[in-house]
Amino acid sequence: MIETRSVRKTYRVGEQEIRAVDGIDLSIGAGEFLSIVGPSGSGKTTLLHLLGCLDAPTSGQVLIDGTDTSTLTPTELTRLRRERIGFVFQEFNLLPVLDAAENVELPLRYMKVHPAERRRRALEALEQVGLADRARNRPSQLSGGEQQRVAIARALVTRPSLVLADEPTGELDTRNTCLVIELMRDLNRETGQTFCIVTHDPLVASYTRRVITLRDGRIASDLPGEEAELACEGRPEV
Amino acid sequence: MLKYIVRNMWRRKARTFLTVFGIVVGIFALTVLGGLSARLTQQVNGARSWFTSKISVVPEGSSLFGGGEGYLPLSKVAEIEEVPGVKSAVAGFGLTLTNESSGFGSPELIVGADLTRSSDLLNLVDIGRGRILEEGDRGKVVLGSVLAEKFSAGPGDIVDLRGRAFEVVGVYRPTLSAVDGFAFISYEEALDLFRAANPYFQVEDIAATIDVLPQPGVDMEELAERIRGEVQGVRVISPREAEKQIGQFSLIFNAILLGIAFIALVVGGLSIINTMVMSVSERVREIGLKKAIGAETRSVLSEYLLESSLIGLSGGTVGTALGVVAIVLLNRATASSNVSVFAVTPTVVAGPVLFAVVLGTLAGVFPALRAARLKPVEALRED
Repeated sequence: MIETRSVRKTYRVGEQEIRAVDGIDLSIGAGEFLSIVGPSGSGKTTLLHLLGCLDAPTSGQVLIDGTDTSTLTPTELTRLRRERIGFVFQEFNLLPVLDAAENVELPLRYMKVHPAERRRRALEALEQVGLADRARNRPSQLSGGEQQRVAIARALVTRPSLVLADEPTGELDTRNTCLVIELMRDLNRETGQTFCIVTHDPLVASYTRRVITLRDGRIASDLPGEEAELACEGRPEV
Repeated sequence: MLKYIVRNMWRRKARTFLTVFGIVVGIFALTVLGGLSARLTQQVNGARSWFTSKISVVPEGSSLFGGGEGYLPLSKVAEIEEVPGVKSAVAGFGLTLTNESSGFGSPELIVGADLTRSSDLLNLVDIGRGRILEEGDRGKVVLGSVLAEKFSAGPGDIVDLRGRAFEVVGVYRPTLSAVDGFAFISYEEALDLFRAANPYFQVEDIAATIDVLPQPGVDMEELAERIRGEVQGVRVISPREAEKQIGQFSLIFNAILLGIAFIALVVGGLSIINTMVMSVSERVREIGLKKAIGAETRSVLSEYLLESSLIGLSGGTVGTALGVVAIVLLNRATASSNVSVFAVTPTVVAGPVLFAVVLGTLAGVFPALRAARLKPVEALRED
């Protein structure tokens, strides 16, 4: 469903040219549950941004369902993101002035979905992440784990075929990390949505079916994951 | 959307309040001055319809608005009436209603008119109640609307003009002009009142102005030119010239108003720009997120434009409301002397509000464009 062909992204910092992503060929099929790991600066986040069409590659191609994204206009890219891709970020990125349900509704608002329908689907998504009773709470009234679950609900509410998560558990404790990763895995099983998770946490990676390791902007390894069922069980609280 | 924007404004209550307050001050000044200008325009327009429907003949060196030095001999009336195209020439004699100054606006005057030929002239203004003065009327007065209100007198009542009793026979409809403050009596009686007030003047057969009405179909400008040619020692003010004099008067005032609007524009505009630029920089990450999850450039743009126009609208509404309150209070304070300095018209109310909204929107353009042009990746990276 998503494919990269010798995709490359370089930045200039002063005189120096930094190759954040240095020629990656990757193919991710529908319904996959995979993680991208690697040391900091290995290009994980940049690759994720390229996959999510948030950023354009310096060279190479990103194809989504066979469409070369470089041929699309900015408006078409926005529409593509909005309809097919859901994003989950490390810092949750919820809007502080909106309550949980309103945050989840936001993408639907941009899709001009009818308000009643919007509300219904937002509550449904909150239900999926187990936060139906917190719909009226603002982010400041929620714990970190709850905020991230709201963010996941926001990513899911448009029923995207691809969910891209950038360090979704980076700011969570172990208990909440487990909650969030198991939630994503269960959603992947139920809905068949593709999940692509950037993480540096081996615990998170252990849940995924495929683990891609990046080093210096290239793929160092692409191996099957452990697909741990309940990796959190029996682990001491950190 | 609106609810969300209001909540966003509420995040920085003090800053939003101060910005709005800045607009309030500017718009308040604009409204009050607008009220002053509206009242002046009413008077000028009223004056226009009175002064431009006739030719005024005044002594040389005198102007349309009095400042009359000297008088005209009554013999000029006959001279003017001989000019072809003149229907009637009416000698008039005016003196102030009291010896005190009436303050702002046009003075209240006792206007004496030669009643033997003044019916056309006195019909230039619509009579509201009673009748106009007729030939042979003595001890009778027709009041302008403001004076009628001041004396609270109608037809049949007796009013006191400079110590002499006059019976009101008619009241003119309001014209919002100088005429509203006129008390029309006969020429002879006006002259008598003048003599009583100035016992050392030997005045006989003089006029302060001679009002000329043309025969039907005669061009007033051409007629004025003819009078100028045939009658010596007078100043002839044609309707066009009167228009020019009146126009100059209001021009100065409108220039002042524009100046105030400009100051409000600069001060208010800059403070809105400042606030919005800060709001945008504080919310860079949020903007990045919105764009990542599918907000189009247009919707980010309109969100911030709406926020800044809302600042303009709140400042404009409050400023205008305070301005109108001030106008009402000021008018009430001067009501006892029967002078209203300000007028509240739809333009006075809607103008400043609209101005503030447009100002807010324009001031928001630059910050909103900045927000809308942010690249999602870079915006999300921002701390």
